[in-house]
Amino acid sequence: MSFVKCCFEAGEGHDFLDSFVQKCTDPGCCCGCCSALRPRYKRLVDNIFPAIPQDGLVKTNMEKLTFYSLSSPEKLDRIGEYLFQKASRDIYRRRHGFVIIAMEAMDQLLVACHSQTLNLFVESFLKMVQKLLESTDPQLQILATQSFVRFANIEEDTPSYHRRYDFFVSKFSAMCHSNHIDKVQRDNIRLAGIQGLQGVIRKTVSDDLVENIWEAQHMDKIVPSLLYNMQTAEKYDTVLCMEGGAGEEEPARLAEACLRELVGRASFGHIRSVLRPVLTHFDRHELWIPNDFAVHTFKIIMFSIQAQYSYSVVEALMQHLDAGGSGASERDYTRVRAARAAVLSNIVAIAAGDSVGPSVLEIINNLLTNLRASVARDSEKETDEKLYQEALINALGEFADHLPDFQKIDIMMFIVNKVPSSQRANKGTKADCMLQSILLKSLLKVGTTYRTGELSKAFPAAFLDALLRVAAAAEPRARALLQRILHTLLDRRGNAPRLHHATVDVCELGLIVEKCSRQDLIFISKHGYALFSSLYEGLQLESNMMENVEAIYTTLALICIELGSEETVGDIMQLVLAIQQSSLSNPVLSVAQQCQLQAISISLAALVPHVLLLPRLADYIHKIIVARREEAPHLLPPLREEYDDLPPAKMPNKLPYLMMDQMALCDMLKAHGVDVSRLSAASPYSAGNVALPHRHSWLEAGAAQGRDSLAEITAPGTELDSANSSPGVQRQTQHDDLDEEYRMFTEKYNHNHRPAMQNFGAYRSDNDFWHWGHQDSRSSEHDMRRDRKHTSGGSQSGVSLEALRRAAGGPTGAERRDAERRRATLNNAFRTAPFDQLLHITQPKYEIKDKLEEIFNSISEEPLLPQSGPCSPAGKSYQHQVPPYTKYFPELFLY
Amino acid sequence: MEDYKFLFKVVLVGNAGVGKTCLVRRFTQGLFPPGQGATIGVDFMIKTVEVDGEKVKLQIWDTAGQERFRSITQSYYRSAHALILVYDISCQPTFDCLPDWLREIEEYANNKVLRILVGNKTDREDREIPRHIGEDFAQRHGMYFLETSAKEAENVERLFMEIAVELMERGGVMTHNFTY
Ligand SMILES: Nc1nc2c(ncn2[C@@H]2O[C@H](COP(=O)(O)OP(=O)(O)OP(=O)(O)O)[C@@H](O)[C@H]2O)c(=O)[nH]1
Ligand SMILES: [Mg+2]
Repeated sequence: MSFVKCCFEAGEGHDFLDSFVQKCTDPGCCCGCCSALRPRYKRLVDNIFPAIPQDGLVKTNMEKLTFYSLSSPEKLDRIGEYLFQKASRDIYRRRHGFVIIAMEAMDQLLVACHSQTLNLFVESFLKMVQKLLESTDPQLQILATQSFVRFANIEEDTPSYHRRYDFFVSKFSAMCHSNHIDKVQRDNIRLAGIQGLQGVIRKTVSDDLVENIWEAQHMDKIVPSLLYNMQTAEKYDTVLCMEGGAGEEEPARLAEACLRELVGRASFGHIRSVLRPVLTHFDRHELWIPNDFAVHTFKIIMFSIQAQYSYSVVEALMQHLDAGGSGASERDYTRVRAARAAVLSNIVAIAAGDSVGPSVLEIINNLLTNLRASVARDSEKETDEKLYQEALINALGEFADHLPDFQKIDIMMFIVNKVPSSQRANKGTKADCMLQSILLKSLLKVGTTYRTGELSKAFPAAFLDALLRVAAAAEPRARALLQRILHTLLDRRGNAPRLHHATVDVCELGLIVEKCSRQDLIFISKHGYALFSSLYEGLQLESNMMENVEAIYTTLALICIELGSEETVGDIMQLVLAIQQSSLSNPVLSVAQQCQLQAISISLAALVPHVLLLPRLADYIHKIIVARREEAPHLLPPLREEYDDLPPAKMPNKLPYLMMDQMALCDMLKAHGVDVSRLSAASPYSAGNVALPHRHSWLEAGAAQGRDSLAEITAPGTELDSANSSPGVQRQTQHDDLDEEYRMFTEKYNHNHRPAMQNFGAYRSDNDFWHWGHQDSRSSEHDMRRDRKHTSGGSQSGVSLEALRRAAGGPTGAERRDAERRRATLNNAFRTAPFDQLLHITQPKYEIKDKLEEIFNSISEEPLLPQSGPCSPAGKSYQHQVPPYTKYFPELFLY
Repeated sequence: MEDYKFLFKVVLVGNAGVGKTCLVRRFTQGLFPPGQGATIGVDFMIKTVEVDGEKVKLQIWDTAGQERFRSITQSYYRSAHALILVYDISCQPTFDCLPDWLREIEEYANNKVLRILVGNKTDREDREIPRHIGEDFAQRHGMYFLETSAKEAENVERLFMEIAVELMERGGVMTHNFTY
């Protein structure tokens, strides 16, 4: 054996003098005689060993050895090598007592000697540790780990850059998985493994040159080893910050502390290296369902990560939502996805506080993308998919909840612009409807976290515009949801729950009413009409369910409370009257709907004097209520789904004396000193309008203008020659189409070269859109359709006063002349235009409609971060190169 | 005194229950452990052998066959000099999984790694995979092939010795004392 040779090592001459008395304590040494020739450092080392290992390290001799090492640091590496050789032999001979002593000696030397030469000593030291770790004896492995940890805590002046920790990471990770039959022993080995890993991390983390601990080969061992120990805990006690040292004698607790340390030390570039194995581990060990451990772990990560990076965790988890499970069935897969989303919703709030600017948008955008993907998946297991969607929506809400309010509005704008247009949803693909409702749910979720102060802040014009666009959605459920969003944004005083159901007993509701502020008045004077007409139209839809009617009631009631004032009461009462009137005159409404409208109009009428303290008005309304109670309780709340048993004599239109009277209302209000000029004028509302997308948009330009033009817009289109068309038949009025095409034709080829379509798309919220439709006194496709609707019911009762009057009087002379002129120009055009132009105007029969469809489709199909801005909320045409972030979140870029 | 000249890392892979741990313990400790429990994560053993008068230290990493540990076990492939892929000759499914294992090895191991296919449990009467089927498979995939019995100590010593010899002949990886 080679150690024989070492006894005669050269260059140790000066040690000879004091060596002759020494006795070689090593029984393995070949001869007793060599002791005299042994170098001094070997004798010093030999002397620290007792005769029997139970006696332990010979302390005084150890002091001598230490002193020697300190005074002759150049000998340190030889001392280390010699100790290692002795220990190797002892391990081989299973004399573990001596091994332990050798290790202890090395520990002491390591701690005592802070010198340049420590470096070489460390090599022997680590070889020793490795040697011990290689043994099958748990005791030696644990001992070695302890020494390693001691070493890890020493700061080396010049760390050795060629030193590698592969073996330690591999071995400690293996120890973390110890399967020792004895539980106590197993826990000890696992604890040692975790401590060892912690040591490696501490030793290497600060200096990438030593060893890049963040490399996948290490992280893929370290992270699962920690998680494996954490997951065995009996219960998961998630705390923000662990108390130092408490309970760290349990593998689970220590592993958690170690994970926290690791995550806390991760710089931006390293976070992914930690997260990837975390996610893989959860997949492999199927720890998503139930997800309590996942929530625990991800919270810990969020708590310990450097705050500015917490967004990366959210991002990584979001990107993992869809990652494939390991051979799981489709059903399990959907459930796993839902569980992951639930974890996300648990941590996303922690990130919100630290997220800035673009990352906020990215999170929202990513959530929406996942929602859309989920909708697109025609999942067999709809309930599971729903769970997933709900979890995502929750995540969205949780996240938004922790953002400042101004960002919430931005986010709501962003979401509402992703809602598929009603036009498109009309065509009724199931996915579109679902997406619509899901996005609205998300919007509602975010909306509920918003605390409305000033209404103008809660409803920036573009946002209100977009909201009201959705208010005309085809799907009744979607419309009801939209109203709930309005409720949450309007309701500043917590009255909404009391106003869920219509009632005339307003005094008993315990409503909280405060005076309306000036800013609010400005808001309502600007947007009141848009809001009112949208709500009014919402009440006129054939497809309305009771839920819709009540939801709009709640919205209106909240408006009364939040915005009731002398200035607005006239408008509100005008709307109330219009609703009452529409119940009598709108031919599409069912009996139930008629009764419901009666009930909500009287409820609102009862609310107004309560809010504004108008006793006379209150008296008047009360009288009507009392009378109805006697004679026609079906015209009062509560609303019912069905009013089947109603005799014809009790139909609302048979009971004119139970109606609120316009003149009487005017008188009451006048008596209270309210200006009633608007209330006494003709109503701007007319029943039976087909709600159209963007209908209200023009109102942006100014309420007054809209008010004046509304009657004109809706009335004159009434067609005499289609008055006998049967209701519900979709008859295409041929000459209207021609007119329409002609108008386009002339606009395209004669006047300006602006493509007519742009009016619908990019310019839709300016006045142009609305006015061009009837400049020609003929209406656009939109109006035309609405007109048909008017006339289809014309046989029953007047649609609006204006329309009736016109219908009775026949077309006026001016209208007739107009029509003549148009026909002539059209004929002319057909005679003279080149063939292909004619082809162009006649062939795509419903070009406008198609084009609109196309535009709407592009709006809802464009990527969630749109490249250009056809759906830009303000209707301005944005520069195409404007990055989407700045467009939707201009404010976010302020910091 | 680190009394070896070569250090080789050997990793055992294969389905759960094919006898990887038994093979390692037979080789390193000379016994067939009764009631050997499933390996969790990774286990480690060391054994020094002598080839042509040279000491060769074999670091043996015995991985868990269970699916759930697959990601941590894969992380051990990378530094392996030799990979022993084990199946159970009396259990067809463990043989059927071999292509999957090869794919994993392809993905995670060094492409110069020495690969050995081992059909274990030859002592069993109920053989399902004839020897030549295993041999064919190994040949097609450029692997060494051996049938063993950890129970009867058949071919176990030989398995590891041949790995040591082969790795030494390849000579490429000469590792000295400083490998942590
Ligand atoms: N008859 C027979 N049984 C064996 C042999 N080798 C292993 N076994 C048995 O097979 C079972 C599994 O052996 P292990 O060595 O634990 O298998 P493993 O491949 O390590 O399994 P994992 O650790 O779960 O991946 C045990 O019950 C062993 O007794 C053998 O050569 N012959
Ligand atoms: Mg095993």
